[in-house]
This record gives sequence, C-alpha cells and structure tokens, in this order.
Amino acid sequence: MKKQILCSMLILIAMFATSASEELMAAPYYEGKTIKLVVGSAPGGGYDRWARLVARHMPKYIPGKPTIVIQNIPGATSIVAANYLYNIAKPNGLTFGAVQRGLPFAQLLQKKGVKFDLRKFSWIGSPIPESNVLMIRTDLPYKTVEDLRNAKTPIILGDGGMASSSYHFAILLKEFAGINAKMIHYRSSADIALAIERKEVDGKASTYGSFRSFIDRGILRPVIRSRVSEPGIENIPVDEELTADKTGKTLFAMRTGPDRAGRPYIAPPGLPPEIFKTLTKAFKDCVHDADFLKEAEKLKLRVEYVSGEDCLNEVNVVLNQPENIVKEFAKYIQF
Amino acid sequence: MLDAFVDGLLLVLQGKPFFYMLIGIAIGFWVGILPGLGGGVTIALMMPFIYKMTPQEALPFLLGMHSVCQTTGDITSVLFGIPGEGTTVATIIDGYPMAQKGEAGRALGAALMSSLVGAVVGALLLALSIPVVRPLVLALGSPEMFMVIILGLTCISSLSGRGKRGLLLGLLAGGCGMLFSLVGQDLQAGVLRFTFGQLYLWQGLSIPPVVIGLFAIPVIIDLMVKGTAIAGDVSYGKLGKGAMEGILDTFRHFWLTVRCSLIGSGIGILPGLGGGVAQWLAYSHAAQSARTIEEQDGFGKGDVRGVLGPGASNNAKEGGGLIPTVAFGIPGSSGMAILMGAFLMLGLVPGPDMLTKHLTLTFSLVWTIVIANIIVVAASLFFINKIAKLTTIRGNLLIPFILLLIFLGAYSSHSHYGDLIVTLLFGGLGYFMERFGWPRPPLVLGFILGSIAEDYLYISCLRYGADWLYRPKVIIIFFFAVAVALYPFIQRKRLMRKEQANEI
Repeated sequence: MKKQILCSMLILIAMFATSASEELMAAPYYEGKTIKLVVGSAPGGGYDRWARLVARHMPKYIPGKPTIVIQNIPGATSIVAANYLYNIAKPNGLTFGAVQRGLPFAQLLQKKGVKFDLRKFSWIGSPIPESNVLMIRTDLPYKTVEDLRNAKTPIILGDGGMASSSYHFAILLKEFAGINAKMIHYRSSADIALAIERKEVDGKASTYGSFRSFIDRGILRPVIRSRVSEPGIENIPVDEELTADKTGKTLFAMRTGPDRAGRPYIAPPGLPPEIFKTLTKAFKDCVHDADFLKEAEKLKLRVEYVSGEDCLNEVNVVLNQPENIVKEFAKYIQF
Repeated sequence: MLDAFVDGLLLVLQGKPFFYMLIGIAIGFWVGILPGLGGGVTIALMMPFIYKMTPQEALPFLLGMHSVCQTTGDITSVLFGIPGEGTTVATIIDGYPMAQKGEAGRALGAALMSSLVGAVVGALLLALSIPVVRPLVLALGSPEMFMVIILGLTCISSLSGRGKRGLLLGLLAGGCGMLFSLVGQDLQAGVLRFTFGQLYLWQGLSIPPVVIGLFAIPVIIDLMVKGTAIAGDVSYGKLGKGAMEGILDTFRHFWLTVRCSLIGSGIGILPGLGGGVAQWLAYSHAAQSARTIEEQDGFGKGDVRGVLGPGASNNAKEGGGLIPTVAFGIPGSSGMAILMGAFLMLGLVPGPDMLTKHLTLTFSLVWTIVIANIIVVAASLFFINKIAKLTTIRGNLLIPFILLLIFLGAYSSHSHYGDLIVTLLFGGLGYFMERFGWPRPPLVLGFILGSIAEDYLYISCLRYGADWLYRPKVIIIFFFAVAVALYPFIQRKRLMRKEQANEI
C-alpha cells in the first residue's frame, strides 16, 4: 500500500515536473508579461492616438501576446521620454517608446539635457511619414502665400513648444519664406485645438493628419506644405520653393528629414538581437494588419509603413551635416 | 431634446450596458477607497478589457467606474485623514476631525449624500446647459483662464488660519506650493528647474505622493504617539449611529450643497484646470457660510458643512468634465482621452455633432453618472455605520495596514522609488506644518495651480501683450477674485460687530 502511494506520488511529481519544464521551454519570452509603451507627448494628441492604436494591435504579433500599456511622459519635445528610454529603461524589450520626430535636432544642436545618442537606439519603425502643413483659420482672409507675407499684423500660430516640429516649420517659414507670423507655445495639441476654436490663435503649423478633422469641418485651410506629400494636399505650395536662398533651401530640406520618419518608435539601445527582431517584425505586421487598418481609417489616420532602418537613415542625414550648415541651422532653430 | 433625455436613460438601463456599469462601479468603489490610485489611472488599466466590449458597453463601464471614485474617495478621507483621491483632499479638513470626535458615521453620511446631490445637480446642469455650452466654453480664452486660476488662489484667504499671522502663514504656504509645482522641465524653454540632476524630477512632482505625504504621514505619527484609536476614547456604542444624521445634515444645508455642486460643475466645464481645484473653491465657499465667529472658528475642527461642500463639488464636476471631451473632442485628462477612443470606435467623432445628432448618447452619459452614484451611495449606506467603527480600532493595529496602502498608492503614480522618497519628504514637511500650526490646504492649492497659472500667464502675455488685462471678462473675474479674497475679513468684522451689538 505504502509503495503504491509512494509510486503514484512519484509519478505525479514526475508528470508535474516534466509538464512544467515543457511549459517553461515552450513559453515565449513575452508570455504573461506587460510591455510599457512610453509616449513622449501628453494624452489626446496625435502621437498619443497612434500609440494607443499600436498598443492595441501589436500584441497579437508578439509570441506570447503580452499586454501593452501606455505611459505618457510629456515634456520638452520628448527629450524627457528619450532620456528615460536611453538611461533608465532596461534593454529587455519590455519598454519601448513613441517619441516626437524633432529629436534629431535636439541632438544636432547639442541641447543641454539631451542625454542620448539617437544613432544608438533600436529603431523599430513608423506607421506613417507625416507631412507638415501650415493651416490657417478659414474665417480669416489669408488664402495664399502672398496673403501671409503681406499680413499687416502678425499671424498667431500655436505650437507645442520651441523644440516641437510645429514650431520649427513655422520659424523657418517666417525666416525664409517671409511670412509675418508669431508663435505661441501650448502644453499639448489638445490645448491648441481649443485655442483655434476660441479664435485665440489664427492657425497652426502641424502634421496634416492630426488636424484633418478641423480641415474637414471647414475650420482650417492648408496653405503651405513640406516636401513629404499626402493625398489631398499635393497641389499646395512647397516650403522649399518659397525661397531663393540656397541655405534656406538646405535648412528646409533638413527640417523635412524627420518628417519622413513621421511617428517613430524606438527601443532602448543594446536590445538583444532576437528581441529586436521580434519587435520590428511585430510592428511591421501590426501596421499591415487588417483590423489595424480598419481602425486607423475609423480614426481618420492614414497608414504607410516606414521601416526602422529608413527612420535611422533620415536621422543620420540630419546628424551628419557639415559644421557651417549646423551653425546656420542653429541660428533659426533654437531649443 | 426631451426625447433624447428619456432615450438616454433607456440606453443606460438596457441589460448588458447596465451590467457592465455595475462591474465598473464595483471597481471604481475600490479604486476610490484606495489612496493614490485614481480614476484616470484605472481607466488606463482597464484598457485591455474594453477592447473586447462593444462601445455601448464600454462607455457605461468606464464612466460608471470613473464617476464613483470621487464618492468613495471621501470615505478614506473621512475615516483615516488620508486622501482616497487627489480630488477628495478637502474632505479631510473637517471630515477627519469629525471622525476623531466619534462622528465618523455622521461625516460619512454627509459625504455620501452630498456626493449624490452633487452628481445629480451636476448632471442636471449639464443637461440644461447643452444648448449653450459651446459658446460658454469658447468665451473663456487663456487670459480668462489665468484669472480663474487667480480666483482659485484667492481661496487661500479662507483656507488660512484666522488673524494676520494666520493669513501670513497661509500665503507663505501657498507660495511654497507654487514653488513645488515648478519642479521639472518647463514648457516654454525646456529649462530644468530644481531637478538636482535627477531624471525622476524632470517630470515634476505629481499630486498623489505630495498630497498623501502631506496628510497621511502626520496622521500616522499622531496615531502612533497617542497610542489610541482614531476616535480616541469615544464609547463604542455611540459610533453605530450617525449616518442618518449626516444624511439629514445634507438637507439641513441643502442650498449650500447645491451651491457647492454648481461651483463644482462650473469648474469641471473648463478644460485644463484639473480635477483638484473645485473641492477647494467649494470648501472655502462652505467656510464662508459661517454665521457666527464661533462657527467660523469651528471650520477645520469638524464642521459638517466642511464635508458637504467638497463632497458635493467633487461629483458635480464629473458631469462638467465630460463637456470638453464630448463637445470639442478635446480630452481634459488621460482618462477622458481613452473615453474618446471609445467614441471613435463607435463611429462617433466627438464635436458639435454630439450635442445635436448624437444627443441621446450624450444624455446616456449624463444618466450613467447619476445612476452610478445613486447605486454606490445606496450600497454604501448599508454598511456605513459598520465602517465607522474602524475608527475605534487601536492605532497600532491600523498603522501597518494604512502604511501599506499609502505607499502603494504613492508608488502607483510613476512606479519609481522616487515616489516613495517624495512621500516621505512631504510627510516630514506635513508633520512639521501641523505641529507648528501652518495650514496645509494653501500649499496644496498653490501646488495644483502653480504651473498651469504660469502657462496661461505666458500665453496671455505673448498673445495679447498687456492688452489682455483690459478684456472685460478678465476685469470681471478679477473683481470677483478680490471679493473672494477679502470676504473672510469683511465677514469677520461684521460678525464681531454683530456680536458686540448682541452683548450690549
């Protein structure tokens, strides 16, 4: 009797042990884990909306189906978030981030507080290249570039801080295309949206996608765009063509570089190659996923996959400029 | 309009949405009670669940959860003197002294009933104001918002102690609070302020660790030193009653409760002010309702009106807070941002359409707030007198439990050990402030309003130069602010004169 009990117990233990080890062996790295997606912008803006969409659809392409949780770390054009990703977050694939595309400029201009090297991040990719567009309220008389140049009082443009892409676009247009504008910084694009409704600002330089609903509702009108185009705005004037100045053209082109990366997703440097491969592949599959596309359409977001490699190339273009151009660039784009 | 009002109700009462709302309420109940863990964070935590639901189910679930947090947050504030939510700090000021006097049941009854009144009034006001809400919100630009914040700051005069010394300490505490709010990377130039090389401080100090530290740690030290229960040596039997008394109090001071509700929903409608402001405006309004000097001095020592005011305004602001999200598609908080995502999935674009074409759905949101609060208050009333007996448990037994809760709550704000250090540091500050008679509410108010005041002032000056000072609405709000600032002194003089006249 005792033997029988002992035997059956041993068998049970053996069964448990083998099944457990099998499970351990087969269990994917991400099973039962939570990935933190750090968003370097306040809730409610375009970066945030994209990130929430990605967070929802990416898990099904990661073996083990982890949960992705959003953490907003706004401030200084995502420098805070990028510093966090570079210095604090561990390169274990459990943290990655959606940062604003203007970051290469912060590094290029050696902004105090930049504690990262963008070239060393693990670039995962982007769901869309973004075109920057200058949009003006339709109830104002400014319809063409000439109108903007000849405005008697400065046109008030809302932007997301001196290091935001919306500010960069506006300041270069002001300096090289001769537009009579004045920029005001707001905490988030939600605040700017409200300011437009309140008629506190006359317009906004911004990505075409994030303020499309305002264009559709007839509140804003796109007037000038950057080189990266999108369906619907192909025919409006391009920034680089609005200046005869050679330096000006270069600076416009430099500024447009990160636009091609659009909404970049990066992970801490030194990610183990396998995890990096898992994440990049999952991101690519997620962006091409039918449900993802359907939901993006509902959210009025256009999708066009950009690989992490392409994003990194654009970053290198900005960071590998000769010193005199960098100096010129720094004159207008200050942090 | 009336059709939509009724249809909205029916939409909420359908089987499945109602069921999900109940689940939401159950979660919100505990989120409210646990300090630190707030409604916004919880909505984010619930994200994985809602994407399995249809939007008709998800909206009542999220909103039901979000809107009862304030109600049950009051319970923690009253019982332990620890803020259950960032928005229920003001309830502590009079609620906790009541608990110490053995009136926990009464305070809880008052807090819950006023919460219910607040929710109903807030929702009603929201329903009535739907036709005018867009122009109303658009009428206030950055300069006006700055003045509203100034108006909020003037409440420091009623939140401070009496006399010149009291006011001075209050102003100093408020100034300190503003300084604390400046910690971190600023918006305009990206400059690091008071970060001492710590990346943790780049994001600035967040409200939960600061407020929990300021209020909870002193309570714990106090309990430990005294070695008694929270309610001291009040006899056990007396505590079993009182909830009914608190409910009656709500109706005794019904108009005060309604006025504080109106303050709450008014503040709620303004996007960008944050949830923590309404409670203080309401508290100082309640404090101004004192009719004798004795009554005036009684505030902060356990006057039931000090519980009713913030209790009502907290819940009333929920209805108002929906407005910027629904009517403009501009979410006021991270929680509302996720709620907006649910809208979009339903094929609804938040914006003017929500007030015309999809009015029924908007009203169903209003009804969700009302019904969720009725349910949670009714459920709480069953065991409120039992909960009140927690205050008779010996402090030494309660402390480990409370400590665990507060550190868990504080840690949930950044999940960083810095949260715990901040809690401890502000705990020390809070202890010494209490020990030496410095008022803590002005510090909290300055802290909440400091950095947004800076933003709006900067934007106003850049946009309008000095001209914003001449805008009629700015001037009106300014005079209103002056009146609020001076009222406690005028009131005291008047009361003194009255009393002298009586003596003669």
